[in-house]
Amino acid sequence: MTQIKSASSTRNRSVRVASQPFVYGAVTLLCVLAAWFLATDVLHLVGSSFLPSPVTVIATLFGLTVQPFAGATLMGHLGLSLARWALGVGAGILLGVLLGIVLAWLPPVRAAVTPIFEVLRYIPPFAWVPIAVLWLGASMSAQALVVFIAAFPPCVINTQLGVSTVDPILTNAARTLGAPPMTILRRVVVPVAAPSIFTGARIAVSNGWMALVGAELIVGKEGLGFLIAQGQFNGDVAMIFVGIIVIGIVGTLIDFLIARAEVWTLPWKTDSK
Amino acid sequence: MNTTVIKTGAPMREADMNDATPKMEIRGVSKTYTTRKSETYALETTDLSIGTGEFVTIVGPSGCGKSTLMMIAAGLEEPSTGEILVDGSPAGPAGPKRSVVFQRFALFPSETVAQNIGFGLSVAHVSKVERTERIKEQLTLMGLEQFRNSYPKELSGGMQQRVAIARALIVRPEILLMDEPFAALDAQTRTVMQEEVSRLHRRMQSTVFFITHSVEEAVYLADRVVVMSKRPGRIKKEISIPHDAPWRTGDIEDAMTYGDFNELRKEIWDLVREEITTH
Repeated sequence: MTQIKSASSTRNRSVRVASQPFVYGAVTLLCVLAAWFLATDVLHLVGSSFLPSPVTVIATLFGLTVQPFAGATLMGHLGLSLARWALGVGAGILLGVLLGIVLAWLPPVRAAVTPIFEVLRYIPPFAWVPIAVLWLGASMSAQALVVFIAAFPPCVINTQLGVSTVDPILTNAARTLGAPPMTILRRVVVPVAAPSIFTGARIAVSNGWMALVGAELIVGKEGLGFLIAQGQFNGDVAMIFVGIIVIGIVGTLIDFLIARAEVWTLPWKTDSK
Repeated sequence: MNTTVIKTGAPMREADMNDATPKMEIRGVSKTYTTRKSETYALETTDLSIGTGEFVTIVGPSGCGKSTLMMIAAGLEEPSTGEILVDGSPAGPAGPKRSVVFQRFALFPSETVAQNIGFGLSVAHVSKVERTERIKEQLTLMGLEQFRNSYPKELSGGMQQRVAIARALIVRPEILLMDEPFAALDAQTRTVMQEEVSRLHRRMQSTVFFITHSVEEAVYLADRVVVMSKRPGRIKKEISIPHDAPWRTGDIEDAMTYGDFNELRKEIWDLVREEITTH
């Protein structure tokens, strides 16, 4: 009885605790918006070519959703950015997880690959932009390659870490029950390493998003980064802000979704959170 | 029934087991761990036979190589010399003929109780119908019905070890290897589990090879107690326990009220203590 009671009261408290930061966060956000509005439209402290008012930015944002710019609406640019990002991050996670497992399971391969990998991962993804353009042209795959370069290393490192820290007693138990190596990998090693793999994927997702926008700023004919670059080129500060805000919101949404995906895929882990 | 002390190096027990071939035979097994810097002699050449339906316990000081012997018996480690035979033929790599219950339970955290128990059957491609039936049987046997859909972390230590035992039994092993299975449990749970394993053994006539550091546990559960020396481990003495010992039907607390039990316990404890104090 007491256990049930305490469990339900903990749940109530956790709801209250969870909703409070949300309220605080919303209030802060509104304050920033209000200050921005005051500084521009009301008090005219800064010129509109320096910092456009939030009203102008929102108007520009809605304008861009119906009026195409450089061949695509805001949604079009966002879609293209997301497609490149998904391509690069998808490949980065897939190959990164595979390489991470191989490195954790096969020490000779690890010894052979680690030095190259260590050197490569300290090269910022943007340093590859000229090479990507040279090899692939100013195409979708060039942007995706830069995203891939940003997303790949955290997946490799976190997967390798997760797989190599799986307690050998678990793989031994599976062996004594007659499981072949691939079954052990699928049913024991990968699930146990999954939280670490998710951590890698989450870093890959945000690294990839940032690398994409950076790459689009430098090269390309569409996408959110391109919008910002065009805003700068045309002196359209409002468009720069539209780009920045959409990038921020979409990035936050993606991160939220992957966090939900983790809770959803690892039900046996979730009640510890 | 042989109730006298058997001398080291005389492991054959055809006469008492009515079976010419032992269920498991550890033949000339030794283990040396080699690292770049040093060689560690963990286990001296060891011979041990375990008869069909026999419950053999091993006691010895910690670090004496009893876990090494268990790992080799399970096929999880290669011996430096010698071999393991099951029913007279080389046992080969680890597999469900020799299932293992580990000290730290070793349950698969991402699978439910029912999935954990059925693991060995699903990797052997046993049909869904038979699998469900046999999982149900184990759940009932171990009193785990209400936990069938729970994850291991939601269970107490005693319940987790019940799952581990069910998972090892469901594959119908030729021999069940248990590596200090109750060492991680609290005292009350341990007492209950010891009695359950004793009852299970009597009921199913399973062959069990059981490692422990508890002398009481060793005497209480065993048909034969094997005492090991300190590292490098060797079999110091084997002591048979009367098959009709009166404590077998009660729990270990009752067992301690029998004079015979306490004499055996004292005799074995003295053997173990020599290994701890003579460093």
